[in-house]
Amino acid sequence: MENLIEFLSLSDPNVRYVVLGMVLLGICSGVVGSFTFLRKRALLGDAIAHSVLPGVCLAFMIGGTKNPLFLLVGATITGWLSLIVIDFISNRSRIKPDAAIGLVLSVFFGVGILLLTSIQGSGNAAQSGLDKFLFGKAASLIGSDVWVFGILCAVMTLVVILFFKEFKLLSFDPDFAHSIGLPIRLLEIVLATITVLTVAVGIQAVGVVLMSAMLITPAAAARYWTDKLFKMVILAAIFGAISGILGAYVSYTETAMPTGPWVIVVLSLIAFFSMLVAPKRGVWAQYVIQKRNQNKIHQENVLKLFYHIAEKGDQQFRAARSLDELLSRREFPTSILKRTLTALTKKELLDKVGNNQWKLTDEGEERGKRVVRLHRLWEVYLTKYLRIAPDHVHDDAEAMEHVITPELEAELDKLLDYPATDPHDSKIPR
Amino acid sequence: MIVNVPNPVIEVHDLTVIYNRKPALWDADFTIPKGKLVGIVGPNGAGKSTLIKAIMGLVPLSSGHAELFGKPLDEVRQKVSYVPQRESVDWDFPASALDVVLMGRYRHTGLFRRISKKDRNIAFECLKKVRMEAFANRQIAQLSGGQQQRVFLARALAQQADIYLMDEPFAGIDATTESAIVDLLFEMRSEGKTIMVVHHDLESAYEYFDWFVLLNTRLVACGPKEEVFTQDLLVETYGGKMNVLAKIGELIRENTFPVREDNSPLR
Ligand SMILES: Nc1ncnc2c1ncn2[C@@H]1O[C@H](COP(=O)(O)OP(=O)(O)O)[C@@H](O)[C@H]1O
Ligand SMILES: [Mg+2]
Repeated sequence: MENLIEFLSLSDPNVRYVVLGMVLLGICSGVVGSFTFLRKRALLGDAIAHSVLPGVCLAFMIGGTKNPLFLLVGATITGWLSLIVIDFISNRSRIKPDAAIGLVLSVFFGVGILLLTSIQGSGNAAQSGLDKFLFGKAASLIGSDVWVFGILCAVMTLVVILFFKEFKLLSFDPDFAHSIGLPIRLLEIVLATITVLTVAVGIQAVGVVLMSAMLITPAAAARYWTDKLFKMVILAAIFGAISGILGAYVSYTETAMPTGPWVIVVLSLIAFFSMLVAPKRGVWAQYVIQKRNQNKIHQENVLKLFYHIAEKGDQQFRAARSLDELLSRREFPTSILKRTLTALTKKELLDKVGNNQWKLTDEGEERGKRVVRLHRLWEVYLTKYLRIAPDHVHDDAEAMEHVITPELEAELDKLLDYPATDPHDSKIPR
Repeated sequence: MIVNVPNPVIEVHDLTVIYNRKPALWDADFTIPKGKLVGIVGPNGAGKSTLIKAIMGLVPLSSGHAELFGKPLDEVRQKVSYVPQRESVDWDFPASALDVVLMGRYRHTGLFRRISKKDRNIAFECLKKVRMEAFANRQIAQLSGGQQQRVFLARALAQQADIYLMDEPFAGIDATTESAIVDLLFEMRSEGKTIMVVHHDLESAYEYFDWFVLLNTRLVACGPKEEVFTQDLLVETYGGKMNVLAKIGELIRENTFPVREDNSPLR
C-alpha cells in the first residue's frame, strides 16, 4: 500500500519518467494501432518492429552515441525501407504479400542481430544496454526520452485527428476512397510514417519482439466494447495508458520484473477480459443470446407438440397431456422437456394440472397454432416459389418457424394468397 | 457488333488491363450515350469488375484510356460515382449505416473539415430513398446483405453524381431489395443519369437494362438491347459454358424474355 502511494505520487523522478514514457507510448500505440488493426496490417506492424533494429544499430555505429533522437532517425529510416521493399516485392514479383512480409522481417532482423553482435564485440564503452532494443528496458527511460515521446505523441495524435475521416474511409473501403479522388497515396504514406514512428519510439521501452503486440492489442481489446470508430480509438488509447501505468508499477514493486513485458501482460489480460465479458460481442454475451434462442426454440416446439397431438388424435386442443405422452410423440431429452414445461408454466402458456400433466392456456394454444401455421406456410412457399419437392421442405421449415416475424408472416400469407393447406395436405390453422 | 454513338458520356478507348502478365481486359473500345441504364454482362472472370475499375482509375492500365463527358476522370470526378462489390469490404468495421453514407460526402466536405449539418441531412435523405432510414444508427455488420447493398447505394446517391458505375448490386440480395433497387435505377435514369451495372442474371437482364456491354476479356458487343442481346452474341460471350448456353437456348426458345410479374416473391 505504501508502495502504491509512493508510486502514484510520482515523487521519484525515475518513476516519473518511466510512467510518463509508458503512458505516452500506450496512448500513441492505441491511437495509431487502431488503424493498423482495422486495416488488418498486424503482420506488417511486426515486420516494421523487427526492421527497426538494424537502423538503431547503424545509427549507433555512425554516431557513437545513444542519443534517443539520433537512434530514432536510424530506426525510422530502416522501418520505412522495409515497407518500401515489401511493397516492391509484392507488386513486382509473384511472391504474395504475406510471404514478402515474412521475408523482409527475417532479413532485416537478421542484419540487425549481426550488427548488434559486432557492436558488442567492439568494446565501445557507450554500447552497454544497446541490446535493450531486443526486449526493451523501460526502466532506463530518462528525461530526454520522455520529451521525445511526448512531442512525437502529440504530433501523431494531431495528425490522426486531422485526417480522422480520411483514415476511416481508407481503412474501410480504399477503392472508394480512391474513386472519390482522395489523395490515398499521401494518406497511406502519412499513416505508414506515424506507424513507423510509433514503433521506433516504442522499441526502446518494450523491444522489437513485443512492439507489434503493443500496437495491435489495445485496438483489438477496444473493438469488443464499441461499434463506433472514434470511441474505439479513445478506448484503445486508454487501455494503452492503463497498461503502461500498471506495467511500470509491477516493475517498481518487484525490481527484478521488466516493465515492457509486464505492459504486454496487462494488455493481454485486458484483451482477454474484453473478449469474455464485453456486451454483445463478448463470448459470455454471445453464449447468453444463444442459450435464449435455444430455450425459445424448445418452448415453441413443445407448444407445437401439444397442438399436433390434438390435431392428429382426439381434437381436444385443451386436454391435459402427461410427460410420457409428450415423450412418446416427439424425441426430447427428458430433462430438457421437463425444464421447458416448467418455463412455459411460469410464462402462463401452460397450466400444470395434477401430477405431471399439463394443458395449454388460451395464449399457449394461440402460440402453438402460430408455430404450426408458420411451418406450413413456409413449406408452401418453398414448394411453390423455390420449386423444392414437398418431401424436402420439412427441415428448413422446422428452422424457419422460429425465425419468421409477424410482418413477414403477413407478407408471406398475402403472397401465397392465404392457402388453406400445406404441400402435405395438412390444414394451415388460423 | 459495336454500336457507337455521337456525344457519348462514357467513351472507352483501346482499354487493356493486364494482371501478372495475364490479360483481364483486352482492347475494349466502346461508347455509351447519356441517360441509359447499361448492363455489363459476361461469365465469371470476364473482366467486368476490371472494366469498371479501369474506368475509375483503380487499376493500372496497360494501354488505352477512358473519357467521361469527353474529359479525363480527374476533371469530372465529382460527377462520377463508383459502387464497389459488396464483398470487397469488411462489414465488421466499426461504423453505422449513416457513417457509411456520409463517406459519399467526404469529397464535398473537403480535407481536414468536419462533416456539416447539410451533409448529414443529405446523407439521411439518401438513406430514406433506399428505405433504410430506420437503420441509420445500426452497426453495419448487423444489416442483412440486401440492406448493406442499399447502404452502398445510398452512399452513391449522396455523391449526387451524373454517372454511376455499379459492381454487382444485385448479387446475394433478397427479392424485395432487388425490386426496390430496380425502381431506384429507373427513377435515376428518368432524371437523366447514366448508369452502368455489372449484372449476373441473364433472365432479368433484358428487362432491366436498355443497353448492353457483352464482355469476355475482349469486348464482344456493345449497343442497344434489341441489337446486341441476341442468341449468337450471348453464345459468343459465354463461350463454352454449357449450362449457361442451355439456359440461353431455353430463353431464346421462349422467344421473349420473361417479364417479371408483379407477384415476385416477397415483394
Ligand atoms: N488484383 C488482381 N490481381 C490479379 N488478377 C486479378 C486481379 N483482379 C482480377 N484478376 C483476374 O482478372 C480476371 C478478371 O477479373 P474480374 O474483372 O474480377 O472478372 P469479373 O468481375 O467479370 O468476374 C480474373 O481472371 C481474375 O482472376
Ligand atoms: Mg466481378
